[in-house]
Amino acid sequence: MTNCIEIKGLSKSYGDFALKNINLTLPGGSILGLIGENGAGKTTTIKCILNLIRRDAGEISLLGYDNVREERLAKQDIGLVLDECFFHDTLRPLDVGKVLAPAYKNWDGDLFQSYLDKFGLPEKKLIKEFSRGMKMKLSLSAALAHRPKLLILDEATAGLDPVVRDEILDEFLGFISDEDHAILMSSHITSDLEKVADYIAYIHRGEVVLSGARDAILDSYGRVGCTAAQLETIDPGDVLRTRKGAFGCEALVANRAAFARKYPMLLVERTTLEDIMLFVGKGEAK
Amino acid sequence: MIGLIMKDILVMRKLMKSYLLLIVIYIILAYLDFFDYSFIITFVQIILAVMPISAFAYDELAKWDRYAMSLPLGRSKVVGARYLFVLALTLFTVAMGLAGTALLYLAHQVDPLEMFVTLMVSTAIGLLLPTILLPLSYKLGAERARPYLYAIVFIPVIAFVLLVKAEIIDFSALNRLNGLSPTAILGGSTLLPLAGLAGLAVSYLISCRVAAGKEY
Repeated sequence: MTNCIEIKGLSKSYGDFALKNINLTLPGGSILGLIGENGAGKTTTIKCILNLIRRDAGEISLLGYDNVREERLAKQDIGLVLDECFFHDTLRPLDVGKVLAPAYKNWDGDLFQSYLDKFGLPEKKLIKEFSRGMKMKLSLSAALAHRPKLLILDEATAGLDPVVRDEILDEFLGFISDEDHAILMSSHITSDLEKVADYIAYIHRGEVVLSGARDAILDSYGRVGCTAAQLETIDPGDVLRTRKGAFGCEALVANRAAFARKYPMLLVERTTLEDIMLFVGKGEAK
Repeated sequence: MIGLIMKDILVMRKLMKSYLLLIVIYIILAYLDFFDYSFIITFVQIILAVMPISAFAYDELAKWDRYAMSLPLGRSKVVGARYLFVLALTLFTVAMGLAGTALLYLAHQVDPLEMFVTLMVSTAIGLLLPTILLPLSYKLGAERARPYLYAIVFIPVIAFVLLVKAEIIDFSALNRLNGLSPTAILGGSTLLPLAGLAGLAVSYLISCRVAAGKEY
């Protein structure tokens, strides 16, 4: 099975912010969820992947192609949905097809039309009259109509209601049922990623601080609720991060089962990606 | 690339229809002797200058550039599409100008040579504006490049008026043009838009360089 994305040692510095030594791999037939706070480096990573910005160091391979030297070949097989709809307000969905068809060798007008029908998008309505959900569905239709192998989604589900999000997530799951297909999906909505992502990479202040299979992370990581006095009794090596509040303390542990065996008097629960983000973003090391 | 040219046309179809309608109205008014033909020529120049800048403004509003640079085209083709749009506009406006010239010649027996020369000069000036403004728009964006449009238009006009008032420019030298044969005038005036096209080619190369170094 080919890796759809391979990123090795990616670095990019802006002076006040830097991506540091990012390493990511996205195997075919899977979804990699990229999580992180605002300004953590998710969009910068995606921009580097798309060669929209120059990297300072590292290598990026997309579907086996170098993302700079073989950019055009790679992009023929990439579908892109970014956080905003980039189609002009004065265009209609029908026009979007006319604009994009000459750019892609595999553009399938009938497929594009079928997505418009499936998502209930009126082909002759001006885009400025579309809701955010409709715009995202249009972007997705445009991204899928040239039968890409890799979908890159940057906050594509942000601002959408749960029904539309669910509809779009179903589409993503359908897309990766083909083993040659993969999705890189950056999102703040960690519950979406818990639903569909096979792998998770958490970028914090320009660095990958957590990376692995979603199930392994969620099965392994745990959240301990305790008092400040109980927290003092825990060996610092057994917790990753801690949070202290007015009503008690919490700690993030990497191995829930091992922690429960060592500290049977403390309750350790399953954690969520959002919890992990909060521990890393707002918590502190013990 | 065709898709991107198509995009510019589709995005500005309403604006283009309005301009087209105005050109037709002006041609009719010129035909009825309400307007001088040179007024239409000036109007065509304005269209040539304004449309590519409007295209940039629309793109900026939609944040289109980031998406366009993500398409499997390469940066030079994205830039090239904008220049081809300018060329398409030029061809269209010259065709309209020639049609107007023919119409007025047939209807009013006006001197076609003078009208042709006016058209060629105006086309060259019309090409000069995007030649300067497109690289600036790629470098600075449409909004920040806009003041340069006014500077390019008004500074030479003001300078020209001041030089005329100071009697530095001597118009009597222009009388020598009367001694030229119609063939020489025709040939010379045809060279002007060709020089404009050469300038546009250089401008394209500069824009490609700007776009290649830009981060989106």
